[in-house]
Amino acid sequence: MLIMAFVGLVMLLSAGIAMVLYNERSYAETKQAQVQAQAAILAATVTAALAFHDIQAAQEYANALRTDGDVQAVGVYDMEGALIAGYGVEPGSLALQLRDAVAQSRDNELIVTVPVRQGLATLGTVYVRSALQPLSMRLERYAVIALLVTMAGVIFVVVIVTQRALTATNRELVRQGADLARANEELRNEIAHRQRIEEAFRQSQKMEAIGQLTGGIAHDFNNLLQIVVGNLEVLQLKLAKDADERRFVAAALRGAARGAALTQRLLAFARRQPLDPKPVDVNRLVVDMSELLHSTLGESIDVDAVLASGLWQVMVDANQLESALLNLCVNARDAMPSGGRLTIETANANIDEAEAREQDVQPGAYVLIAVSDAGTGMSDDVVARAFEPFFTTKDVGKGSGLGLSQVYGFMKQSGGHIKIESAAGRGTTVKLYLPRLVVDVPPAARAMPSAQNGQGACDAKILIVEDDDDVRTYTSTTLRDFGYSVVEAANAKEALKALASHPDIDLLFTDVGLAGGMNGRQLADEAVRRQPKLRVLFTSGYARDAIVHDGRLDPGVDLIAKPFTHTALAAKLHQVLVTAREHG
Amino acid sequence: MLAAGFRHGVAALAACVAASGVVPAHAQVPSLSLEHGVKATYLHKIAAFVEWPASAFESADSPLVLCVAGNDPVGKLVPEAAIGRTYGMREIVVRRIAQPAAAGGCHILYVAGLRDETITAYLESVRDKPVLTVTDGAPDRRFKGAVNFVIRDNRVRLEVDLELATAHRLVVSSKLIGIAARVVP
Repeated sequence: MLIMAFVGLVMLLSAGIAMVLYNERSYAETKQAQVQAQAAILAATVTAALAFHDIQAAQEYANALRTDGDVQAVGVYDMEGALIAGYGVEPGSLALQLRDAVAQSRDNELIVTVPVRQGLATLGTVYVRSALQPLSMRLERYAVIALLVTMAGVIFVVVIVTQRALTATNRELVRQGADLARANEELRNEIAHRQRIEEAFRQSQKMEAIGQLTGGIAHDFNNLLQIVVGNLEVLQLKLAKDADERRFVAAALRGAARGAALTQRLLAFARRQPLDPKPVDVNRLVVDMSELLHSTLGESIDVDAVLASGLWQVMVDANQLESALLNLCVNARDAMPSGGRLTIETANANIDEAEAREQDVQPGAYVLIAVSDAGTGMSDDVVARAFEPFFTTKDVGKGSGLGLSQVYGFMKQSGGHIKIESAAGRGTTVKLYLPRLVVDVPPAARAMPSAQNGQGACDAKILIVEDDDDVRTYTSTTLRDFGYSVVEAANAKEALKALASHPDIDLLFTDVGLAGGMNGRQLADEAVRRQPKLRVLFTSGYARDAIVHDGRLDPGVDLIAKPFTHTALAAKLHQVLVTAREHG
Repeated sequence: MLAAGFRHGVAALAACVAASGVVPAHAQVPSLSLEHGVKATYLHKIAAFVEWPASAFESADSPLVLCVAGNDPVGKLVPEAAIGRTYGMREIVVRRIAQPAAAGGCHILYVAGLRDETITAYLESVRDKPVLTVTDGAPDRRFKGAVNFVIRDNRVRLEVDLELATAHRLVVSSKLIGIAARVVP
């Protein structure tokens, strides 16, 4: 731009100089032509006067040039060069060399001589001396041009500079506008992002609150059910084999069992079910489930398993995962009443920071299990409430409203998360994300439920610690029935005392939650410190932090969840004691 | 003023005559011979300001014939004054004639120093011819040629009779008319 301005200025100056030079030259030429014309006219008119020596006439013709102020001298000379008429010339003869047509300029004057001819005869010479405009005057005239050029130059420079400034300002404005638009866009995105995060947070807060409530109720219910079930079982044992009353007891037991199952599911939602996580190959788990799925879902549902190769392992309670998948598959079936295709897909997935923030989960590597159906789909409102306990879209009596809640709780408790992608009429995909197991442990064969029962129990001595008198009484009765020696304690203090007085106690069977300042875990730690060979079996209405961390039992910890049947208790005791012997 | 004008006029005459080469350049005194010399010079100078029809000349290079009739002192000076003079590319030759009948081949006919009847006879003899008739100091139009010498302010001046010149099929230059003492339209 500056170069342009400079070039423009130089061009302007050059034009000015060229104009001056042209003017100067043009002036000289014009002036010479003008004086030559004047001399020629005089020469033409003065012929007769010269020929017939009419001095007066010649003088009159010469005087005619006085009207031109620049003409300083005029001379009319005869053939001999003698001055006949004129003014401003030195009297005397004209130099011979001037008799021909000559134009010469010197200093500030121009001298022109023209021969006077009539026909072919030369009669004399006319001499005209004219003043040229003095250089100073001409320069003054050119000063106007110079001034104009300068002004034009100044205007030119001002225009260029202004143009530059304007262009720069425009560019800056455009840039600022773009910045503003970008900032605005970022702000909008940020607002939308925050809204999503807040929504996710609200959702998780809500679920957390419902979980707290549900967990609390379920815990108390479990204790109550334990009493009901325990006493019913005792009653059943005491009734004659063929007594009619057995039917009523069995019905009551079935009802209690259903209640227990319900509280179990509530606990699962509240993330308070005891889990037994182990390294699991999800692909293998899905393959193993195929038979079960086929029989559960019926002939009208085609199950497709799309299993990723090189799938990572996960650390999860395999039984619960199986149960969760079954739950999802049943839901999928229900969404396709006239049959259809159900797809179970596995894949490795990475959740980055941004997505994790939005979903309110931890970023990292996950194993994805997606269960998709081609069914009726769900509206956004339904998706938003799908995990709430007792929320169901199924007909009354068809669904408990706890299936997805249970899966949700299980996933959260397992450090993963669950996501529903659905649109009404376009089917539903439920995605389960389980954290990748980084330490590579060969997946253990899933423990099959033990078929063992109370029969064949050994003669071990068991210390029962339970602050609920009814539960303790039931438990001790049951254990004695199994053939165990039983020592009872209502709290940790009593338990330690009993332990001191009965050093032959083989197993400590304690509730995790105890009244009196010391919980079951702390009691167990202290007891094992005193008697290293002591085995410990915990029981609990729900898993507390004391023994369950992040949804997982501490290694080496055995637990039986309330309410338990005496068969389950017998099997668990047997397992713990036998394991102790094997290791002991 | 008059004296000064006279002296100037005489000096101019002298210069003119000197230029014509008739009298010595140092002649300072006005005299009849000076006046005659000037007139003799003017006779061939007039030719430059007059155009003759082409038919007036036999060929492209035939000379311009200046005839002198009468026993006039000017006429005696004319041959010498016209030596080497030209009219364009044409040579100017001087011929003295003694009879009006001889004036037919003239281009310029100077008639002076004769009786009025004789002058009239000469003028009449070339009435329809392309001849520039020149007379000297004729008082009456009957005796004047197309050009008539007169003395004004001590200087030899010309009277021009354009009507007569036109009658002779001659074209007189406006330059000559411009300096004429009197012009008969």
